Amino acid sequence: MNLNIDAAKEMTYDAIVIGSGVSGGWAAKELTEKGLRVLMLEKGHQLEHVTGYPNATKDPWELKYNGRLTMEQKETHPKLMRDYPYNENTETYWMKDTDSLYKEEKRFDWYRPNIVGGKSIMWGRQSYRLSDIDFEGNLKDGIAVDWPIRYKDVAPWYSYVEKVVGISGEKLNLPQLPDSDFLPPMEMYCVEKEVRKRIEKEFPGRTMTIGRVANLSKAMEAQTGIGRAPCQYRNRCAMGCPYGAYFSTQSCTLPYAGKTGRLTLRPDSVVTNILYDENQKRATGVRVVDAKTLQERQYQAKIIFVCGSALGSTAILLNSTSNRFPNGFGNDSEQLGHNLMDHHFRTGASGIWEGDLDKYYIGRRANGIYVPRYRNIGNDKRDYLRGFGYQGSGSRQNWQREIAELSFGADYKEDMTKPGPWTMGLSGFGETLPYYENRMYLDKTNKDKWGMPLVVFDAEFKDNEKKMRKDMQNDAVEMLERSGLKNVKGYDNGSYPGMAIHEMGTARMGRDPKTSVLNGNNQVHGVKNVFVTDGAFMTSASCVNPSLTYMAMTARAADFAVKEMKKRNI
Amino acid sequence: MKRREAIQHVALLLGGALAAPSVAGAMGQVLNTTPGLAVTPEQEALLAEVADVIIPTTGTPGAKAAGAQKFIIRVMRDCYPKADQEAFYGGLSKLDADSKTKFGNGFMNLDKAQKIEMVKQTTTADKPFFLRMKELTTLGYFTSEIGATKALAYLPVPGQFDGCKPIEPGQKTWAL
Repeated sequence: MNLNIDAAKEMTYDAIVIGSGVSGGWAAKELTEKGLRVLMLEKGHQLEHVTGYPNATKDPWELKYNGRLTMEQKETHPKLMRDYPYNENTETYWMKDTDSLYKEEKRFDWYRPNIVGGKSIMWGRQSYRLSDIDFEGNLKDGIAVDWPIRYKDVAPWYSYVEKVVGISGEKLNLPQLPDSDFLPPMEMYCVEKEVRKRIEKEFPGRTMTIGRVANLSKAMEAQTGIGRAPCQYRNRCAMGCPYGAYFSTQSCTLPYAGKTGRLTLRPDSVVTNILYDENQKRATGVRVVDAKTLQERQYQAKIIFVCGSALGSTAILLNSTSNRFPNGFGNDSEQLGHNLMDHHFRTGASGIWEGDLDKYYIGRRANGIYVPRYRNIGNDKRDYLRGFGYQGSGSRQNWQREIAELSFGADYKEDMTKPGPWTMGLSGFGETLPYYENRMYLDKTNKDKWGMPLVVFDAEFKDNEKKMRKDMQNDAVEMLERSGLKNVKGYDNGSYPGMAIHEMGTARMGRDPKTSVLNGNNQVHGVKNVFVTDGAFMTSASCVNPSLTYMAMTARAADFAVKEMKKRNI
Repeated sequence: MKRREAIQHVALLLGGALAAPSVAGAMGQVLNTTPGLAVTPEQEALLAEVADVIIPTTGTPGAKAAGAQKFIIRVMRDCYPKADQEAFYGGLSKLDADSKTKFGNGFMNLDKAQKIEMVKQTTTADKPFFLRMKELTTLGYFTSEIGATKALAYLPVPGQFDGCKPIEPGQKTWAL
């Protein structure tokens, strides 16, 4: 790979890509392949593919704390420690809260990676297409603004990215969950196969399928050609995969961009501002602070792709003020920072499956099952808008199953060395509506060590989400009970914005510059050479995991941008 | 939600937003800044002895042979607030003192049946100590090289997935 990491002398490029996660990686790949010289700026440190993943091939006895955090790590991560994604295995991949300062008017869990590749390294890899039920939702419900695009606009771009990424899954022909161009589906556990049959029989209109996941069930030429191997079923994805078996920037888009010889990657680069030229009425480049030396530089480019993960991107835009844009870059609509969304989750049910004790499994499937949305579809009408899907899994209980019981001794030990009963769990992921008042803004009087004003979060789930959560729990209980599971228990562990790490909105797309920040090509209304292609553009949230949509929309926007450059419109 | 239920819930929730780490790893709380308590060689030996009652040598080596006490000491020292450490080692001392009261001997010098009886007594006399000791012994043992590869079935790179295969005679629980 030909990556020019030390680019101190090079200050002018065709394109600058801010961020190196799912969206930034795709922007870099597409723009370099179309002939542009690209500078990719990443706030976090370098993370080399294969050799850079510290825990990926360790045996369990080589981990010091079996996944736990030390008191010291908790001290430096008082916010991240509130939930499990920050743990011993991924410790070095996240920013310290003591560096990554932000404020909470209301609780918000902001998971910010500190690495090249961003969250594409630790992501859950669940990959689903949005449908026209999503794209038409706002218009039909009369809320927020209409999406400026429809499914047909994105469908070819979904196919385009899927062939490169590799999405394993099963075709269902459902209008609410369009099929991807799939690699072979992963297999279900016996309990999952049974529950699926019973759900389909007992609940017409509902089904359960294997998760659609960006892990290679089979490696095609698009993957083997850049050194990716099929999934080894180790289920250690979040630590980084030395086989390149799941999609990440490192395994996929970075090698493709690197092959062109036109990519310059600069880690440790905190972008604080996009620079605007009042005469040319366009962005001219970015201001960067070196994360380690705090040295300041400026880079110039003809176009800028902002891919700093929804909230990071919007923070940069809000901080980029000028005479033309006193309230934030491209913020004529006053919508920048508003309509903040995340999925709400952490509610569902689980139970015990008494059968199939003569069955076991081999391999650790890095994937679960998925129940596509069925609420408020067709003739179904609820007392809330939109709907939810379930992720979940069967599993056979292991040696940890009595850890909180009073048993001990030889019998305890021998019991634990034999597999326990099968279980099945369903966990809902619900759509959140885009509320104007759910927002982030900058506290310009308080800055972090790189000089960035602190982001303040003021967002909450509201009545529509609360009503939906009742169904999310009750339906899960009902489906598992009627599937024959025993000791079924519902739960609602509470959900705060940010926890699903599906942050969306704050620079929404729309048809009208008066009410939206971006047009249907992810282009800032009024500044033609700036594009925002991460979760910030989302006009509504859907209930499906969003990353695949960012990939497709980034590829689509890159195609548009380069065509516009060739036509000299940019 | 009670801790026990919480642990079981986490165990059932696979396929969430990101890959889940070990079950108990997600349960940590509370902050402190003080360094860990010093542990004497006697305390370490006593921990090993109690751990070996919780997971004894059977057809496979037990917790002491696997060095579970090293894991317990490390996790208590680095991952728990000082108050929890004091309570834990207080519980260990009390177990030893209770052994002397009941059998006229420290725990180390009891016979096998007496040791089992004392640990049994701890499940009611000091349940928090017992549960923490059991949790850390179990985690330390089954993630040790001996526990994972001898007591359990260990396959670090499966290279395949079959979710519904007939169980083999004598099949052990997967370590991972």
